[in-house]
Amino acid sequence: MLQKTQDLERPAPKESSNAGTVSLGTFLGFLSPAVVTLAAIGIAPLAFAIWTSMRDYNLTRLQRTPFVGLENYATVLTDSVFWDAMGRTFTLLLIALPMQIAAGLGIALILHRPGLTFLKTIARLSLVIPMATTYAVVGLLGQIMFNLKYGVVNQLLGFIGIAPVNWIGDPTNAFAAIVFWDVWQWTPFCALVFLAGLTTVPGEIEEAARLETKSWWTVLRYVQLPFLVPGLTAVLILRTADTLKQFDMVFTMTRGGPGSSTELISLLIQRIGFRAFDQGLASAQAVILLVITIVLSRLYIHFFYREI
Amino acid sequence: MSMKSTIKRLTGGAALALALSPVTAFAWSLEEAAQPYAGTTVDVVFLLRPGYEAAKKMLPEFEEKTGIKVNVTDMPYENALGEQVRDFVANGDFDIALVDLVWIGNFAENEWIVPAEKFINDPALADPDLDLEDFFPLVLDAFGSWGGTLYGLPFDNYSGLLFYNQCMLEEAGLDGPPETWGELKDEYGPALTKDGKYAFALQSKRNETQSADSFARVLWPFGGSFLDDEFRSNLMSEESQAGLQFRQDLMQYMPEGIVAYDHAEAVNALAQGDVAMITEWSSFYSTLKDPATSTIGDCLAVAPEPEGPAGRKPALGGFSLAVASQADENEQAAAWLFIQWVTSKENAAKYLELGGVPARQSVYEMEGVAEKYDFVPALVESWQEGVPEFRPRFAEWPEITEIVQEWGTKMMLGEVSTEEGAKQIGDRMEAVLEEAGYYDGEKPLVQ
Repeated sequence: MLQKTQDLERPAPKESSNAGTVSLGTFLGFLSPAVVTLAAIGIAPLAFAIWTSMRDYNLTRLQRTPFVGLENYATVLTDSVFWDAMGRTFTLLLIALPMQIAAGLGIALILHRPGLTFLKTIARLSLVIPMATTYAVVGLLGQIMFNLKYGVVNQLLGFIGIAPVNWIGDPTNAFAAIVFWDVWQWTPFCALVFLAGLTTVPGEIEEAARLETKSWWTVLRYVQLPFLVPGLTAVLILRTADTLKQFDMVFTMTRGGPGSSTELISLLIQRIGFRAFDQGLASAQAVILLVITIVLSRLYIHFFYREI
Repeated sequence: MSMKSTIKRLTGGAALALALSPVTAFAWSLEEAAQPYAGTTVDVVFLLRPGYEAAKKMLPEFEEKTGIKVNVTDMPYENALGEQVRDFVANGDFDIALVDLVWIGNFAENEWIVPAEKFINDPALADPDLDLEDFFPLVLDAFGSWGGTLYGLPFDNYSGLLFYNQCMLEEAGLDGPPETWGELKDEYGPALTKDGKYAFALQSKRNETQSADSFARVLWPFGGSFLDDEFRSNLMSEESQAGLQFRQDLMQYMPEGIVAYDHAEAVNALAQGDVAMITEWSSFYSTLKDPATSTIGDCLAVAPEPEGPAGRKPALGGFSLAVASQADENEQAAAWLFIQWVTSKENAAKYLELGGVPARQSVYEMEGVAEKYDFVPALVESWQEGVPEFRPRFAEWPEITEIVQEWGTKMMLGEVSTEEGAKQIGDRMEAVLEEAGYYDGEKPLVQ
């Protein structure tokens, strides 16, 4: 502390004050590539989406795109189809995310235990495979694996005497199938984040805690969990945003069907924007989704991250 | 203006142009016509279906004769409309539009495609043997024209047919295919649905398959339709409701999960002997006949779709090729030469041989064709009785089909009754049409 105080009191060398002055050119030179890129790929499309959301903007009627103000927003907010899709998206989130967190934490705790180094290395590597698989490929695999007659899932169920299940053609089962795939693909992500969090717990504190109590729950709750909160917040924010954007896997596996049973919000926006070509309405839906995502992210940070 | 008079006018115009031209009809050849455009590349979308594979096999011959390069972009049906619309809106690369019959109103009203008249009346480009009257009139009208103007030439042509496993029918003591939808449900359904096999599969996946292959298929034979003469919903009519209720009743003889069946699943179910009958597009004949993709071999038989109380009214679908407006003059000319060549009378037999289904009447009159391709008699019969507006062809169809797909599937799943579903579709469909200006006289009532 004394050394630090001395450093602060020591007058800065003359040349260092010159070095601290950054010319405007340098400043712009370093910042502008990032700002321009962000403006081009993030802000400009967003601005365009907001602009189209206030017009009757249909790709098949581009001769006439009148300004309609907030009419598209009013249509979206009073449309039961939009809220049904939003409800399904949050149902997926509320079912899949706790499963991913619980299973991910369990895997992380197992891998955190000492011993069996080689097997744990193999396990860590294996965890990357689901995450590295392209979403669309996961959906296509699902379409084949969950096929009523020829799918491997029903074959396996047959071995234990369970009759073939109509996975893709039944609304409830189709939803269960997308929950299954989401959990399969993203539990490893949670596991790896939690494992990284566990490695930040100081060894001596954890060791001391284990000497104090035999209860693994006490160690987890009072020693390990505080170190996992930043990772948990990241998982919550990323997985929520990912689930709200979930498209490829569901689109390739069920296309939102049967009926509307797996039509998540992103599939609805794609359907309105690119199959019915109503870009105005789809943009309004997307802007509302963006607002919901931002609000949720802020809530997560407010309630979880602040406690650290 | 009727299509018949349009054809006559175009044919007459072409003949006059040829007569007045210094180049006589006898001197016309593809090679000479293409000379100014050698080295030009034309871009076109093809689907992953047998007719396109056939055309691709024919491409080298065209390219060799003309020096014109045809650049094909393959994509599944579900992506083809979106890709093309985005390309046309952005003034992109496609020089030829692949036009499903339900897209033609959209493409024509947006002026994304060029009326064929421009090329037919150009003696340097028009093949004297073009012979528009040789196309099945229904097909040329439905696939290639909008508002009395011809835009495209029929290329990948379908009619709904009844494909059936005659061995399964014989084993069940049934003599030949059902003549009516009523027979199919009441006699063939119970007799053929047993031991894990089903009498019938109606592909009903929630995409265009639900609208075209499932929903519309039960409307028309029962006297129903999407719209009445005033363009109001006709789905609550007694006839439409009878058709939709028929579909619900027929589901007991279909495999579980039929709402997840697309063409591939339905064709595969028949090909593997899991179902006895399907109503499918004629283009799937080659898949069902090929021993590499089908196990039923000689048990495969083909008949026209069954009749309903209002007649046969089989499903009608297919694609024309039209020249894209965004192409420059050279590309347009090269594109027309390709379209004219690939759909020509001269190439129809080869196209058929390679797995395509041409819309030329003359090829089906050739000796041995009906015997070699046993779907031909049923196809020819179907193309006499089809309905051009089987699905409305106006620009608003992409919006309306989404509504039909959603609520049609909900009906099948029992989530809503046929009345409730029809009411929902009707209300939403009318809202789209009102927005488009059909009810205030802004747009003519053309479908």
